[in-house]
Amino acid sequence: MTAPVLAVEGLTVSFRGRAGPVRAVTDVDLTVRAGETVGLVGGSGAGKSTVARAVAGLVRPERGAIRVDGVDLAGLGRSATRRLRRQLHLVFQDPYAALPPTRRVADVVAEPLAIHRIGDRAERQRRVADALAAVRLDASRYLSSFPHQLSGGERQRVAFARALVTRPRLILADEPAQMLDASLRVAFIDLISELARDRGVAVVHITHDLALTERPCDRLVVMQAGHVVEQGPTAELLDRPRHPYTAALVAAASGAPIPRGAQ
Amino acid sequence: MNVRSRRYALAGAATLATLGVIAVLAPWLAPYDPGERVGPPFARPTPTHPLGTNDVGQDLLSELIVGTQVSLLVGTVAAVAATVLGTLVGVLAGYARGWVDTVLMRAVDVVLALPVLPLTIVIGVFFGPGLLTQISVIASVIWAGVARELRAQVLSLREREHVQALRVMGAGGVYVLSRHVLPAVAPLVVPQFVLATKTAILLEASLAFLGLGDVTAKSWGTMLSIGYARSAFLTDAWLWWIIPPGLAVALTVMAFAVFGYALEERSRPALRDASRPWPRPRQSPRPDRAAPAAPALLVEDLAVHYRSDRGAVTALDGVSLSVAAGELVGLIGESGSGKSTLAAAALGLLPPAATVTEGRILVTGRDLATLSAPELRSTRGGRVGLIPQEAMSALNPVRTVGSQLAEAVRAHRTLDQEQTRARVEELLALVGLDPDWAKAHPHQLSGGMRQRVVIALALAGDPAVVVADEPTSGLDVLTQAEVLAVLVRLSRELNLALLVVSHDLPMIERIADRIAVLHAGRLVETGPAADLLAAPRHPHTRSLVEAAPRLRVRVPGGPR
Repeated sequence: MTAPVLAVEGLTVSFRGRAGPVRAVTDVDLTVRAGETVGLVGGSGAGKSTVARAVAGLVRPERGAIRVDGVDLAGLGRSATRRLRRQLHLVFQDPYAALPPTRRVADVVAEPLAIHRIGDRAERQRRVADALAAVRLDASRYLSSFPHQLSGGERQRVAFARALVTRPRLILADEPAQMLDASLRVAFIDLISELARDRGVAVVHITHDLALTERPCDRLVVMQAGHVVEQGPTAELLDRPRHPYTAALVAAASGAPIPRGAQ
Repeated sequence: MNVRSRRYALAGAATLATLGVIAVLAPWLAPYDPGERVGPPFARPTPTHPLGTNDVGQDLLSELIVGTQVSLLVGTVAAVAATVLGTLVGVLAGYARGWVDTVLMRAVDVVLALPVLPLTIVIGVFFGPGLLTQISVIASVIWAGVARELRAQVLSLREREHVQALRVMGAGGVYVLSRHVLPAVAPLVVPQFVLATKTAILLEASLAFLGLGDVTAKSWGTMLSIGYARSAFLTDAWLWWIIPPGLAVALTVMAFAVFGYALEERSRPALRDASRPWPRPRQSPRPDRAAPAAPALLVEDLAVHYRSDRGAVTALDGVSLSVAAGELVGLIGESGSGKSTLAAAALGLLPPAATVTEGRILVTGRDLATLSAPELRSTRGGRVGLIPQEAMSALNPVRTVGSQLAEAVRAHRTLDQEQTRARVEELLALVGLDPDWAKAHPHQLSGGMRQRVVIALALAGDPAVVVADEPTSGLDVLTQAEVLAVLVRLSRELNLALLVVSHDLPMIERIADRIAVLHAGRLVETGPAADLLAAPRHPHTRSLVEAAPRLRVRVPGGPR
């Protein structure tokens, strides 16, 4: 087996609360290999987004190691961290908020290249076109559009093209389909995992809805109240959930009718 | 911007343009050199000196014209300095936060707390009169307001996801500030500058009047100061010596103010349209013929158009839908299908740009279009309730759950304190919450509990019809199931006509008796939930059913 792209060990994150620090994440281990899509699932407040934000460097961990391609993020200087950032990208939940409203699609997708000063004009244009093609958006139609002219699904694809353009090793997708119409969700998640497989990108797919994990995810990691309560291959875990919390998530996502008169 | 404020803005801009031209061309426009003695002292207005002369025989009209140049120059330069400093401080404080923010903003607080005029006088006297003194004194007291305004904007911008996304991509502070933050706040800097200029000109006049101006380059304020000192008020000389520069100051300040507020209004869309009147829905041509057995909510042949820049846009077209008492109807539609418009129409809450062009909406037999504004208000909440989509923004964060419920209860009935409390407890019990939660604030509740409170609010007026707009958006699957169970139970226990609007077919199919599918403003299919799911007739329904995210049915613990 290849070395994991992402290896999180003993990650613990606390936030300052009114009555002292509040643990959001406790001793979480997580590994993702190239080409693999791992579903990080749990209800709200389970700590799954905090894990992603810690990996992306938006929150500082209290304890634990985060290694990307074997390099520990904690021990790095400023410029090395910035270089490593090129290797990972976080796709946010809300495609309406995550794109700068005043930039055209061409500039939005090229932005990571500008930040890291990658390539000349021609090279950047080629990479942008390639990234848009990967998310099945017709470059000639979309390059000069503004985000507000696009539908939610199109915007989220643009956000995903922006994530692909530096050819990262790891993509963290935090509820990427939550704001899309229900009928577009499955197709969007499938697209992500398909690209991960084709391009050898490691993907962490964060969601509360197990119905969105069955096809795209190779493995599932279930979190509850900051702890990992269960993990395993997707099919196995959905068929035989061992932890009652996992079983409750499976039941909720299976869409059983809610009987009248029941509480 | 409405017509009146646009007219004001134009008048302000025209005045400023005229003043600007006068200031630039002053040396050529002035009939005399204002420094030369060109007539007898204290001369009354004559054709050669339309505003007379001052105490040494200098032409007052020339002084007024050249004074425009001095006043505007001092005002503008001081405002530029103040805006640049204020922008730097505000952007830096808002973006850096931490101790930088604390130190800078305490400095801003100090400047804002000091009384402006005495402060400028003290500094002015300390440094001695002169244009440079005036400019630096004025700039040093007005930058703080600009800084505070911009810091607030940058703070909120900083937390926006698209700015956070840049940091995730590895962008440094300089990149984010120069490429994203500054361009985003630039439209706010312009009105701040114009308003700062207004303040600067006013301060300049005050300082000059107190003798802190430069007597070799007289501004309007200096003219006033000298006129006052040379006893213009003892004769009727004030008519041509004091009034013209006084008027000039007032006119300029007003022009800047009007223009500045118009710019500010334009840069903040939220301030716009606040005063637009609520249009009355068009009267239904048909008479109100409510049958006794009419369903609680009846939408007949409804068409709604939106006014937009590109002409009228059809949001709904020929939509007919009914919800009987005790029935739970799910309205399924993707974004842009018109489902939110339909929900708003059922509540008589269409946005101002929307017009009902055809059809009618009957709530418990009453046609919404025939109701007066007070009748419509009592219908809302009293006969038809709304469960809005964002529970957190639907609740007031600084008031307890109980006081918000009590307010909703009292909006429809006159009850004393004891009765109100009993009703609030009853409402909380209905949605499965302990009465103790009445004392809690919204932020102390979980997402699911907040949604229950919002449901209780919708029930406060004891409505017959309840419209729920995406009632489970933002909730995780476990909480969704809880909230859905509450809705299903209520529709039966209270015999409610419940219309649940959503894009989420797997959610709707768990609770609905009937499902209606809205697509591009038209109802493409309506039917009992089980039939519609098992055998969708319309291709759009079929694609929705097929694309819905569902787990394959599993037997817990069993083999595959």
